[in-house]
Amino acid sequence: MSEEMAYFISDFFTYLLNGIAQGSIYALIALGYTMVYGIIKLINFAHGEFYMIGAFTGYYLIINGVPLYIALPAAMLGSGLIAVIVERLVYRPIRYAGRIPALITALGTSLFFQYLGQGTVGADPKAFPTAFENTTYQVGDVFISKIQIVIFVVTMTLMAGLWFVVNHTKLGKAMRATSFNMNAAELMGINTNFIISFTFFIGSALAGAAGVLVGMYYNTVEPMMGLIPGLKAFIAAVLGGIGIIPGAVLGGLTLGIAENMVVGFWISTYRDAVAFAILIIILLVKPAGLLGKNRKEKV
Amino acid sequence: MSTPVLETQGITMRFGGLVAVNNFSLRMGATDLVGVIGPNGAGKTTIFNMITGIYTPTEGRVFLDGKDITELRPAHITQSGICRTFQNIRLFNDLSVLDNIRLAGHFRVDYSLMASIFRTKKFHQEEDRLVAEADKILDIFGLKGKKEMLAKNLPYGEQRRLEIARALATKPKVLLLDEPAAGMNPKETADLTKLIRWVRDEFKIAILLIEHDMSLVMNVCEQIHCVDYGQLIASGGPKDIQSNPKVIEAYLGADAVAEIK
Amino acid sequence: MDYLIYLTIQSGIFIILAVSLNLINGICGQFSLGHAGFWAVGAYVGAAYSVFFALPVPDFVNLLIGCGLGFSAAAIAGLAIGVPCLRLRGDYLAIATLGFGEIIRIIIMNMDSVGGPRGFTGIPAWSNFFWVYLFVAITIIFVVNLLRGTHGRAIISIREDEIAAESMGIYTFKYKVLAFVIGAGFAGVAGVLFAHTTQFIHPNSFNFMWSVIILLMIILGGLGSVTGSVVGAIILSLLPEVLRFFGETVSEWRMVIYSVLLICLMLWRPSGIFGKHELDIKKLFGMKKGDA
Repeated sequence: MSEEMAYFISDFFTYLLNGIAQGSIYALIALGYTMVYGIIKLINFAHGEFYMIGAFTGYYLIINGVPLYIALPAAMLGSGLIAVIVERLVYRPIRYAGRIPALITALGTSLFFQYLGQGTVGADPKAFPTAFENTTYQVGDVFISKIQIVIFVVTMTLMAGLWFVVNHTKLGKAMRATSFNMNAAELMGINTNFIISFTFFIGSALAGAAGVLVGMYYNTVEPMMGLIPGLKAFIAAVLGGIGIIPGAVLGGLTLGIAENMVVGFWISTYRDAVAFAILIIILLVKPAGLLGKNRKEKV
Repeated sequence: MSTPVLETQGITMRFGGLVAVNNFSLRMGATDLVGVIGPNGAGKTTIFNMITGIYTPTEGRVFLDGKDITELRPAHITQSGICRTFQNIRLFNDLSVLDNIRLAGHFRVDYSLMASIFRTKKFHQEEDRLVAEADKILDIFGLKGKKEMLAKNLPYGEQRRLEIARALATKPKVLLLDEPAAGMNPKETADLTKLIRWVRDEFKIAILLIEHDMSLVMNVCEQIHCVDYGQLIASGGPKDIQSNPKVIEAYLGADAVAEIK
Repeated sequence: MDYLIYLTIQSGIFIILAVSLNLINGICGQFSLGHAGFWAVGAYVGAAYSVFFALPVPDFVNLLIGCGLGFSAAAIAGLAIGVPCLRLRGDYLAIATLGFGEIIRIIIMNMDSVGGPRGFTGIPAWSNFFWVYLFVAITIIFVVNLLRGTHGRAIISIREDEIAAESMGIYTFKYKVLAFVIGAGFAGVAGVLFAHTTQFIHPNSFNFMWSVIILLMIILGGLGSVTGSVVGAIILSLLPEVLRFFGETVSEWRMVIYSVLLICLMLWRPSGIFGKHELDIKKLFGMKKGDA
């Protein structure tokens, strides 16, 4: 094997691992988007802000000495609760007003949290403390850091938990029923309002977890941090098929890996453009997403 | 029949695994008055949707005056000469009665965009023509006095009339009416019966209608097709259809047929 | 005094932006979230012309040429973006246009020939109160006349009921693209005027936040009302100044106030000030019989 080939392979695996770490984070955030869209057909623009709120909750807890294994669940709880409050106060009254008014409301909520954050904690990035010793492991010429392993393990665990709840519990069945047909679910005795709130809670809790993980990975948090990852996670959800839970995971990982390959092998300033390019392509070629079905609707 | 004005050849509509309409064929002459009846969910509106281009039939072809219109878009089909009304009235609610009619004349208007910006003579001529034609048809339908009213503020019966007037304003060869008598009381239905026949006689067009109100169908239609579960089960004149056992079974069930026998 | 004129000019530019966005979002009913992108295209094309290619003719002629180029460039961008995006349903269209707006910004940011991340300086100050308001008048008259003709009615019918419009023989896709392209073009003109007023432009002057502010203007004024867009633009151009009266801190919280305003409008008065209707002077004074 030539030296060039060896470098290429180790580079490839490095970018792949980076992509999987990044992609797992996108997947966690994308899950929340897809679950909410699946149940009430709302693109929750403010979802990226729930991610940010999780990050900041984790930040404040950890700099005050709270250990990670408490801070992470607490951040998830914080994000989840804020989401439930927003849903109750703002999204529920809007629910039947139409897709565009709902979208605009979500947009307003997103901006509200971004600028509220800027106003209260300041726009400057805060240094996220390292919660543990970040050692790097070496396999051949490929480096993988402990934090990347932690990210992967945490996301896999959370996703496994979600999969279990959705597919093997009564609550999950109620969630699936509500997303298929809300009226029918209501008639079957399911408290759809509760289910919707619960969906928001879980989706945002996952995003909150992602926020903490990102804080640890990149060592900074700032109030606008939800904007770009939020948009990218949304794109990932659309890529996989919006409303389809495995789609969010597939889309997130695909986007993460694609992004890192482009940055590694091509030009790094085009990093964000990758997501937009994927969005345009998928909307033009297969708007239902990779795992979506092209359903012809009866007029 | 020489070239029928409207013909469907074995049109079929599948939505995934569901066959909504199966092998429906129909031929209409230039001034025929035909009805399509059948229980709810039988596929009647789907047939309309296939004829007007909202759906492309999974199988089969549709011909207007011998021209294949199966794969054309709805706007193209309207411009070719078929216009329809909708089961749940689709007026331009926040526009005036006059504007609703004027929009039907849009595709025949002969001035360019820039002409309307600069308000040329051609623009004014065409606009006057549009208003004059709209006035004529509003007069016929008794809506001229309300022409500045917003469509959504009209009483229900007048909204239905406006929708029919609007469809006629596109100067079609074939008019498709989807449950025009829905929500009407017996007097209104009787007026509508007269109106539909009058429209056919006056405008010399073919009319195809979907309807549940049997008094309207039996008094207006010269030919009736009955569909059930997407399948054509009987065709004939009003008397034949009324006594056709398959039709009775579709509406009232097999027991009713036994009772009648 | 100078500052007052500057404020008025800024309002004028936003009136053009609001009216042009309203043509797409309010009148045609197609939800575009990338309007700032077309504003940027016009600004940069106009600025590049004036700085690199200006002809030896009087300043105002160059400005008019710049406006023509800005309109065309933005209209072409509108065509390129509109044709693929306008096939999409409501919320997907919104996201796609948002994406394209950002893509435009990223592309400009990476173009060093027009300053890239350092911004584009040295744009001559050829615009003034007269020219800006001339174009405000042109934009309003264009849109109002458009709406009084059959093409405008066709565009409105798409918002009212797209399926019914299609069944009236109106090629809805063609008219959606038409509204989109015209809206983009006028946003481009606003960009040229903007560049020649501020004399310095930067890609971040045209980011998503600005698309949202213009959107807020037309929602406040009333989606679908030209009068509403004018009023909404004026209110939101002057609002930052009013807020300044209440002190530095209130000013900083401007965007928070806007976002709360947006949410409240959606919850309690989605039709905005004028709804879909125009201010009809005659009706106002009871001289014309209208709907009760």
